[in-house]
Amino acid sequence: MKKTLVTFAAAAVTLGFVSTASADDCGDVTMAGLGWGSASILGEIDKLVLEEGMGCSVTMIPGGTVPSFTSMVEQSQPDVMGELWPNAAGIDLYNAALEDGRMTESAGQSPIGGVAEGWYVHPNILEAHPELTTLEAVLARPDLFPHPDDASKGGFVTCPPGSGCQISNANLFNAFDMEAKGWKMIEPGSYAAEDATISRAHDRGEAWFGYYSAPTAFVGKYDLRVLDWGVEFGGQENWNCITKPDCPNPQPSSWTGSFVRTVFTDEFAATGSAEAQSYFAARVIPGPVMNSLLGYMDDNQAAPDEVAEYFVENYDMWKAWVSEDVAAKLN
Amino acid sequence: MNYFLEFPELSKGVIRAIKKSIDTSFREFSRSYGDSIEVIFYPLKFFMNWVEFALVSAPWPLTMLLFVGVIFYFTRDKILCAGSILYMLFIGVFGLWEDTMYTLSLVIASGLLSVAIGIPIGIWMSRTTRVQNTINPILDVMQTIPIFVYLIPVVMLFGLGKIPGVIAMTIYAVPPIIRLTNLGLRQVGIGMIEAAMSMGMKPWQILWTIELPLSKKSILAGANQTTMMSISMVVIASMIGVQGLGVPVLQAVQNQYIGSGLIAGTAIVGLAIILDRVIQNTK
Repeated sequence: MKKTLVTFAAAAVTLGFVSTASADDCGDVTMAGLGWGSASILGEIDKLVLEEGMGCSVTMIPGGTVPSFTSMVEQSQPDVMGELWPNAAGIDLYNAALEDGRMTESAGQSPIGGVAEGWYVHPNILEAHPELTTLEAVLARPDLFPHPDDASKGGFVTCPPGSGCQISNANLFNAFDMEAKGWKMIEPGSYAAEDATISRAHDRGEAWFGYYSAPTAFVGKYDLRVLDWGVEFGGQENWNCITKPDCPNPQPSSWTGSFVRTVFTDEFAATGSAEAQSYFAARVIPGPVMNSLLGYMDDNQAAPDEVAEYFVENYDMWKAWVSEDVAAKLN
Repeated sequence: MNYFLEFPELSKGVIRAIKKSIDTSFREFSRSYGDSIEVIFYPLKFFMNWVEFALVSAPWPLTMLLFVGVIFYFTRDKILCAGSILYMLFIGVFGLWEDTMYTLSLVIASGLLSVAIGIPIGIWMSRTTRVQNTINPILDVMQTIPIFVYLIPVVMLFGLGKIPGVIAMTIYAVPPIIRLTNLGLRQVGIGMIEAAMSMGMKPWQILWTIELPLSKKSILAGANQTTMMSISMVVIASMIGVQGLGVPVLQAVQNQYIGSGLIAGTAIVGLAIILDRVIQNTK
C-alpha cells in the first residue's frame, strides 16, 4: 500500500513537472549567476526579458565557469548559462558534454561580439615608447617591465592556475623564447588579483604587460592595447599542442579565434519554453555596446541589474530579439 | 512612499557617492603612500626569501634530518617523528616537495609575525578592560570579514606575491593568539600577583617570572590555533600569486582533477597535523 502511494506521488510529481515544462507559458527557468562583468550584465538582461517580458520565473544560481558548467553536465542544473567560454571550461570537457548530449549550444552563435584574447600593454608605456605596439618590440625591452621579485628580468602577467590560457601562455612563452630574452612569468593566482595588478600599474604609472581578454571593463576603462603578434596563426595542429601542458615543441603563433556560447542543458533544450530559446538565439550584444555597458557599470559602481535596466531603457536593439508582444510588455 | 512598509533607503546617488569616495580615497592613499609602506616590509621580504631559499635549495635528506631533529628536540615523541618521516616521503614521492617547502616558509613567516604582534597586544589587552573592550570588536572584524574584501586592496598596495600573502594570512590568523594570551594572563590568580608585589617585585618581573609562565598553556593553545588558521589560508593566498601547495589545489579545482586535488589537500592536512602535534606537545 505504502509503495503504491509513493509510486502515485512520484507519477503525479513527474506529470505535473512535464505539464508545466511543456506548457506554452514559460514556467521556471534557472540560470547560472556568473561573477565577471559581461556575464553578470548579460545574465541580468536575460532575467529581465524572461521575467518582465515572458512571465517566466527566473532563479539565478550563483556559480562560475567551472562550477556552473560541471553542475549543468552532471546535475542538469541550472538550465541556462548565458556566457560560457569553452576554452576556460576546458575545450575537451566542453566537446565531450556536447557529444554526450548533456549540453546544447543555443542556436545563435556568440552572445557577445568583439571577443578577443591576446597579450596587452597598459597605454602609459606608449607615451615614452610609442614603438611598443608589437610583441617583437615589447619582447626586446624587458627592462621596461621589471618583474616584482627579480628586477633584472621583465615580468609578463599570465593567467590564474588551472585556466586554459595559463597553459597556452606558458607554451607561447617558450615558443617566443622569452626566457632567453630576459622574461619571467608573473602568476596572479586569480582574475581578481590580475585586475588588481592593472589598477596598481595604472595608479602608479608603472608598466604592465600580460594576457587579457575583451570585452571587459578594463580594456575599455584603461584603454589597454592589444599587441600585434607579428606572426600568422600557426595552424590548428600547433595550437592544439599549445593548449596542452606538455607541448614538446610549440611554434610561435597568434592567438586562436576565441569563442563564447550560450548553452542549455539538454533537458531545457528539449522541454524549455520555445519563446525563451528563440530569444537566446537572437540576442547578440556587439562588442562596443558591451564595452560601454561595462564602462557605465564601472563609472557608477552599478549593480548588474541596474545596468540591465539602463540597457533596456537606452538601447533599441533588444526589440529585434523578442516578439512585439514581449517588447510592449518590457517597454 | 510608505516608510512603514518599506525601509527608507538612501538614494542610489548617495550610496554611489559613498562607495566612490571610499574607492577614491583608497586609491589616493595607495598612490601617495604605497611605495613607503612597501619599504617597511622589506626586512620581512628579505627574511622570507632567505628561509625559502634555505628550505628549497638544501638537499632533501638534510632538510628531512633537520625536521626530525627539531621535532624530536621539542616533543621527544618517536611516533610523531616516524609519522613526519612518512609524510615527507609522501610529499617527495608525489612531487610536492618544493611546493611544501614554499608553504612551510610562508607558514613559518606568518606564524612568527603573528606571535611577535599577538603576544604584546594580548599582554596590553590583559592590563586594562578598556583596551580589551576596544580590541575585541576589531578582532571580530578580522576573523569574519570575507577575505577577498581586503585581499584585493592588499594586492593593489603590495602587488602580487609573498608579502601580500603573509599579510592576508596574518590578518586572519593573529586573533586567536591575542585572545588566548589575554585570557591566560587574566586567569592568573590574584593571590600569586599580590604575593609577588609584597615581595617588592617590579611589574615586568611579575609578568616575566609569574604571569607568562603560568599562562603558558593558554598562550601555546593560541599559537596552535594561529598556526592552524594560517595553514588554512594557504589556498586563498595562492589566489594572489603565492607559490606553494595552494596552487595545485586551485589547479585541481579548476580542472576537476579530483585525484590531484586530494593529494595536494592531503599534503596540506599532513603539514597541519605535524605542526599541531609539535606545538601541543612541546615539553
